[in-house]
Amino acid sequence: MNRLLQSSGLLLVLALPLASTCQAQAMLQQRAVGDVLQSPAMQIAHPQRAVFTALARAGERLVAVGERGLILLSDDNGQHWRQVAVPVSVGLTAVAFADARNGWVTGHSGVVLATRDGGESWSLQLDGERAAHVELEDARRAAQQAPDDEMAVTRLETAERIAGEAADKPFLAVAARDERSVLVVGAYGLALRSDDGGASWHSLMGRIDNPDGLHLYAVARQGESWVLAGEQGYLARSDDGEHFHPLPSPYHGSLFTLATRADGALLIGGLKGNAFVLAAGAQQAEALPTLAPVSFSDAITLGDGRVLLSNQSGGLFTSAVGGLEPAFAAQRKPVAAVVQAADGSLVTAGFTGLSRVAAPTVSASE
Amino acid sequence: MNCASRHPDPGSPDGFDPRSGSLIERALFNHRHWVLLLCLLTTLVLGWQSTRLELNASFEKMIPTGHPYIANYLERQKELSGLGNTLRIAVANTRGEIYDTAYLDTLQKLSERIYLLPGVDRAYMKSLWTPATRWVSVTEDGLDGGPVIPDDYNGSPESLAELRRNVQLSNEIGQLVAFDQRSSIIQVPLLARTPDGKALDYAVLAGQLEALRGEFAKDGIAIHVTGFAKKVGDLIDGLQQILVFFAVAILITTAVLYAYTRCVRSTLLVVICSLVAVVWQLGLLPLLDFQLDPYSVLVPFLVFAIGMSHGAQKMNGIMQDIGRGMHRVVAARFTFRRLFLAGLTALLCDAVGFAVLMIIQIKVIQDLAIIASIGVAVLIFTNLILLPVLLSYVGVSPCAAAISLRSERAEQSGKARHPFWRFLDLFTRKPWASLCIGVSLVLAVLGFLVSLHLAIGDLDAGAPELRADSRYNRDDAFMTQAYGASSDLFAIMVQTPAGACARYDVLRKVDELDWQLRSLPGVDSTNSLALLNRRMLVGLSEGNPKWYELQNNQAMLNMITASAPRGLYNEACNLLTLYVYLTDHKAETLTRLVQHVEGFAAANNTAEVKFLLAAGNAGIEAATNIVVREANREMLFWVYGAVILLCLLTFRSWRATLCAVIPLMLTSILCEALMVWLGIGVKVATLPVIALGVGIGVDYALYVMSILLAHLRQGASLSEAYYRALVSTGKVVMLTGVTLAIGVGTWMFSPIKFQADMGVLLAFMFVWNMVGALVLLPALARFLLPVRPASLPTESSVRQEVSHAS
Repeated sequence: MNRLLQSSGLLLVLALPLASTCQAQAMLQQRAVGDVLQSPAMQIAHPQRAVFTALARAGERLVAVGERGLILLSDDNGQHWRQVAVPVSVGLTAVAFADARNGWVTGHSGVVLATRDGGESWSLQLDGERAAHVELEDARRAAQQAPDDEMAVTRLETAERIAGEAADKPFLAVAARDERSVLVVGAYGLALRSDDGGASWHSLMGRIDNPDGLHLYAVARQGESWVLAGEQGYLARSDDGEHFHPLPSPYHGSLFTLATRADGALLIGGLKGNAFVLAAGAQQAEALPTLAPVSFSDAITLGDGRVLLSNQSGGLFTSAVGGLEPAFAAQRKPVAAVVQAADGSLVTAGFTGLSRVAAPTVSASE
Repeated sequence: MNCASRHPDPGSPDGFDPRSGSLIERALFNHRHWVLLLCLLTTLVLGWQSTRLELNASFEKMIPTGHPYIANYLERQKELSGLGNTLRIAVANTRGEIYDTAYLDTLQKLSERIYLLPGVDRAYMKSLWTPATRWVSVTEDGLDGGPVIPDDYNGSPESLAELRRNVQLSNEIGQLVAFDQRSSIIQVPLLARTPDGKALDYAVLAGQLEALRGEFAKDGIAIHVTGFAKKVGDLIDGLQQILVFFAVAILITTAVLYAYTRCVRSTLLVVICSLVAVVWQLGLLPLLDFQLDPYSVLVPFLVFAIGMSHGAQKMNGIMQDIGRGMHRVVAARFTFRRLFLAGLTALLCDAVGFAVLMIIQIKVIQDLAIIASIGVAVLIFTNLILLPVLLSYVGVSPCAAAISLRSERAEQSGKARHPFWRFLDLFTRKPWASLCIGVSLVLAVLGFLVSLHLAIGDLDAGAPELRADSRYNRDDAFMTQAYGASSDLFAIMVQTPAGACARYDVLRKVDELDWQLRSLPGVDSTNSLALLNRRMLVGLSEGNPKWYELQNNQAMLNMITASAPRGLYNEACNLLTLYVYLTDHKAETLTRLVQHVEGFAAANNTAEVKFLLAAGNAGIEAATNIVVREANREMLFWVYGAVILLCLLTFRSWRATLCAVIPLMLTSILCEALMVWLGIGVKVATLPVIALGVGIGVDYALYVMSILLAHLRQGASLSEAYYRALVSTGKVVMLTGVTLAIGVGTWMFSPIKFQADMGVLLAFMFVWNMVGALVLLPALARFLLPVRPASLPTESSVRQEVSHAS
């Protein structure tokens, strides 16, 4: 008996590996893909390698926005990033902060997101459907007030057509004066403004002279006035942020980015390396010599008052007497946006993700 | 060697009753001439047939065609261009960048030569020189573009500068042009059939490519070639070396056998009979419409090996009987009587071991199973019947016969038993037997724990069939390094209604899956029509990255799709392909990916839009891994089931069956542990080895146990019975175990990695099964087999018992 037990025990051990180790394949519980406006941005493993389109400072903090609703924060000047929850997963296009706590982000499908806590949490203030509705209401009112105005009738027709289409049109730029006044502009001349921090919006499209519905790529403050730039060299200025009048176009190609210099002059970056300077109060922008035939992607005001422009192939230039000069080491990757961190170093964003140009490099070049 | 005790030749089989013995024995040995004639005719016919045998490799045979993933792929194979059969030829300038007149000239000449090779899908061939390679640039007025190599290219510094600018604008960096711009690729899609309707001959194509490499790879030009066609070409090339390894293995086996028997006649007979079996087998293959491929090419050698093992047993039996003074005919008949059933059972076990491989739904393994089963069936005729019949004619050298009985004689003359036999005898005694079982138990537990880490699939980069330092794998590493994307490509097919492949709702799902997968560990990058739409929208928007979005704008999606390259969607626009480039093809990576995609498909498949797995080399490997994982345990279950059943039939004792099977199980466990230790995964090439190991290993146990059991039933003590088994069949087990292990061990030096892996594992199994049969078997018998009290049986009853038992 003892022997039998011994041997059957051995047999059991030997037979163990033969037992089927087949496991029920735990299938990941997934939900069906929903609308981009209903789907929160996915938390991803290495978010800093994704595509980023815009950067901003919120006090000491850096905020990066990019594809599929990605918003990243960095509290160590761009060395480490963390992803925060965003209620939509559309591509985000621009970010602006009025102060360290209040900021807005624009995106595709007419999305405007707002934060009141320096970027930790975001709420959806506007989407394409609501934006189209705001413009439609405004256009109706205008058409009712002036039934004989051909412009107003055309505007109403356009607004009705856009409201009928898929709400996919993007906002492409945002600027804020304070925690209440914010202006968003986008494709097909879309332009809305809020004076209550985004709780309600009204359309500026009747007050911007843009009959061809050109894309508006940039909006910036120049002193107390507001400037818009866009397709086909479109340039317009407003003293109150409500009524815009076009400026003479300096160029027939697109203008992508705007930033003011310490002396109040506005630097304008455009297609194929074309850059212009618009002096404070001047009506005509002056062309600067072209250094490289690559389109500018972003412009920022540096801490020392100079303007820094980045181009799509990674070139970085600063404003100098008589034009621009190459500054810092050119990045060997496309740059979509650039920001200066609190410690003076630069952080760039683009198709290959976020990267930091450490402060020593910056000061060495200076 | 003492040959003095020469026995007088009995001359004739006087006094032997030819009517004795079983019906089969009488049928064969009383018509020996007919048996010989029949065998001779068969050998001639099949020998002639075997000249028709073809060596081939087919892509589809190596994949589990029954698996749903593969079925999905095969159903759509024609639509999935660029996923199967494309050669990538990287032409590198070792002296600098590609913007060099001499380099470009060579590239042009080489492209033209490749263009003319039979089997090249010329319409889709692509290089810097093909007109389809274009650049696009944004200007104030819209888009501008042209061929990358300027129309007025003349080799001047100006046209080289223009070429450099065009390449920058062409989006081909990382595709046709390496990141470091020191090499460029000629992409060569292949047709399944050459224009004259013949199937593409990979061996010929690989030869032509090597010739071109030899001609052009000089003066600062280096050429790297990857692709299935090249890999298969290299494998077929390697097969010729496999033949050399077989020849070496056969020579070693023969030499060792001769060294052991000292008898040219019988050694040659055993070798010839085993070779006859191989000839019959090779002759039957074309008759049954089979071909040899890189996997089954090993089978003829295995058949030879098994033949040697059985042949040596028969020869040894006959030799000993002749040594005892019997006539060669009588000796042959007695040996036939004693060992035919054991041999038959052993061969049936082998055949079952092979046949069980049929359950693996991979054509190469099924072919291998059938081919091997045929071979083993043939052995029943050649080595169990033809060999004794032949030996009954030629006999053995008397001197050798005397040597074969050395131990017996020594004992009779009062000398001590050979120390080695005395050592083995220790295992029939309680202390050593307990120790042996204890050690085995520890080994089994340790081995089992290690074997839990057994990996499924391949673990190395590049082509796992070839060695890591082979030319092909070095070329593959070059491609990965210079062009970014690894060669491990997993493709997901998205089936849509006709014309709906660019619909927003479809692309939205593809875009989402794309995004989810890029977050998975092991995924390097992805590509899909959704991603192309994002990129193209940026391109069409003057390069402004803010437009990086899949817009819900059907007109835009349709426009972009219309200009999309072939491969992301098909002609009928009802199939999209999502490409996932992986950092490796480890089973873990593949399993994670497959599970994620399955989950996504379950949540998102509709009647119209279906996400289907899987194509691309990694997709095929994922399916293969699944099939192999399932087959691995199932196969062991069946092979052991069959072996246990056959042992029960043979021994008529469950205790004896346990004694025979437990050592085999230990070997199986330790073999898995060895695979973990050597970093060999369970894959198409190694799966058969585990089953073959059991099938071949049981031979040893059967030969030892049947003699041991016969003597026990005669009333001998375990020690005595075991000694008798050792000096008759046991020493031949030792001989064949060692010989065959040396034979297959030489495969370790094979240029083909899977042959080397098989060689190591088979050698281990040959040796360890032998050790198990000689050491663990008696130890187990000590505890499991009851010793009958000696009942002094009469001579006739013993004879009956022996023939009955064996």
